[in-house]
Amino acid sequence: MTRRRIINDKIKEALTWLSSGISAFVLIAIVVFIFSRGWETLNWDLLTTGYNSENLMADFVHVDMNEFSEFEKPSNLKDDAVFSSKYGIAFVDGIDANKETYTKVVYLDESSPLQDGKITTAGPRQGEQLALHEGLYLQKISYLDEAGDKKSAGQMSPEGKEASELVAILDNQSVEIVDFYAQTEGGGLRGSIITTLILIGITLVIALPLGIFAAIYLNELAPKNKLTSAIRSSIELLSGVPSIIFGLMGMTMLFPITQLFGIDGQSITLGAMTLAVILLPVIIRQTEEALINVPNGMRMASLSLGATEFQTIYKVVVPNALPGILTATLLSISRIIGESAALIFTVGTAITDNPAWNAKGTSLAVHIYTVMGGEQPNFELASAISIVILTIVLILNVSVKVITYYMTKEKDEPAKA
Amino acid sequence: MSENNNTQFETAFEVRDLDLYYDTFQALKKINMDIPLNQVTAFIGPSGCGKSTFIRCFNRMNDLIEDCRIEGEIFHHGVEIHDKSVDVVQLRTEVGMVFQQPNPFSMSVYDNVAYGLRCQGVKDKNILDEVVETSLKQAAIWDEVKDHLNRNAMKLSGGQQQRLCIARAISLKPEVILMDEPTSALDPIATTKIEDLITELKKTYTIIIVTHSMSQAARISDRTAFFLLGEVIEYDETDVIFHNPADSRTEDYVTGKFG
Repeated sequence: MTRRRIINDKIKEALTWLSSGISAFVLIAIVVFIFSRGWETLNWDLLTTGYNSENLMADFVHVDMNEFSEFEKPSNLKDDAVFSSKYGIAFVDGIDANKETYTKVVYLDESSPLQDGKITTAGPRQGEQLALHEGLYLQKISYLDEAGDKKSAGQMSPEGKEASELVAILDNQSVEIVDFYAQTEGGGLRGSIITTLILIGITLVIALPLGIFAAIYLNELAPKNKLTSAIRSSIELLSGVPSIIFGLMGMTMLFPITQLFGIDGQSITLGAMTLAVILLPVIIRQTEEALINVPNGMRMASLSLGATEFQTIYKVVVPNALPGILTATLLSISRIIGESAALIFTVGTAITDNPAWNAKGTSLAVHIYTVMGGEQPNFELASAISIVILTIVLILNVSVKVITYYMTKEKDEPAKA
Repeated sequence: MSENNNTQFETAFEVRDLDLYYDTFQALKKINMDIPLNQVTAFIGPSGCGKSTFIRCFNRMNDLIEDCRIEGEIFHHGVEIHDKSVDVVQLRTEVGMVFQQPNPFSMSVYDNVAYGLRCQGVKDKNILDEVVETSLKQAAIWDEVKDHLNRNAMKLSGGQQQRLCIARAISLKPEVILMDEPTSALDPIATTKIEDLITELKKTYTIIIVTHSMSQAARISDRTAFFLLGEVIEYDETDVIFHNPADSRTEDYVTGKFG
């Protein structure tokens, strides 16, 4: 071999190494980046709590604080908690998932005077008893000072934004507590997770039967003529259309259909119908692929046994194509979870805690869009959601592999003589 | 077409002036043939001579091939099988078929054999049990599979799969069994078993078999037809074809001069 040839080969080899190296590096970098930014924010509470916090205002009837002795600081309180011995309550400072400072109640003594609040916010809970209990985020607390003037402290007041300052005011300046304004925990993903699940459900209910039956028609029944191949190519063309165009189509063309159900405006159902249109080509192609792979001998055998065309399809062909159809389903779910452009128009970008099929909402992917689109883009929360999405997609992909492996193992096993 | 086509036997099929075209290509040319009842009829000939195409005419499997056009008539007990009044699904239960490649369904041995009856709407477990057992026994595979009836048929060996396919075909108690090179994908031992089985089955069934192996045709068939380029060159008793053929081309083929 000439030196020239050796060098030439080495350069080409180096190119392949470099290319695959760069691809692998980019992938790993994305995952590492997202995990490093989002891991801190991600916790179980984030997944299970709602996004919008409930605003609660409550006032207290007059109590004589002299009746209460000093409260004892519980021993299991964390170091960063600040305890008020006068009222038997402890607070911590923190920054929430939406990057705002908060003062959270972490302890309230059982006999504290702050146990007996009455809700004053208008609504169904008005008049209910409410303690300034553990888990609430204190916004403002009003007290009477020694001169009998009503003053306030807390996040929404000029004073007492920090827990230590707040406790100092309460312990040293207040005579009694008049009322408080607090919020329940918010910023969570529960609503978006449920919305995503509803989206998956409705979309699959629409798209799977349509897609599978269309694939059966195209592959098993349709005459092999120009019309059929025209239908097939237009389906393939559909899969190349950007999803934002489908979003526009859903808004204008599918919206009248949802109106028939009495839905006014964007809704999860409208989004699901749009997603179904996006997924149809995917499901049809995957299912067709699976049907093509069913050995023709099985169709012949079935027909030669006096089975009708439809008996052949439903007893032999479709069962043999099941792993492929299942793969199509799981890939569709991945696609639903990842889709955002089409949903922004059809489901909306307003995060909701009580998703319903006929109301707006955000899927997890659109939730990212919303938290990044505000005045203060929240990259940590977005990364945390990304981790959730990546994990679900990864699990789905692994299950595709596992299911396909187990469902085809039976057939691939070598026959023994 | 030889003139030895005398009909001193009872016929299962009478083929009259059959032409078959794939689009513009004529695969079968003016075929006239009487297939005897309860005998083994073998079709031999080089690849592409139309013998497999011809055997598929008897249960109308060619219907499934697009661009395939048939002219002429095939009478089955006096009824022309392409007639509008003929239910092709019913015809296929009377004329069973075994294919070149063993093609069991990916289901249990039991379900494979019960498939045909279930498609007819038979649900009675007792009937199914009995038919499965007698069919597997007739196909000489019962002893090998009786303990694994719930095993997936794909796990059987090639020869077992082919006998299972025969069992499946006879589960419907057809009058005729078409066999399209049933042993070409099998090893010699499995082939011997299938040949023995065919000899056994011809007592009950009319068998039409396409084969590449001249020795197989000589061993198991009663009558043999020699095909060449879509035409029947000669059709006669197997002994005559192999030992005293009327046409020189038949002689050349059976003596291995071409093919």
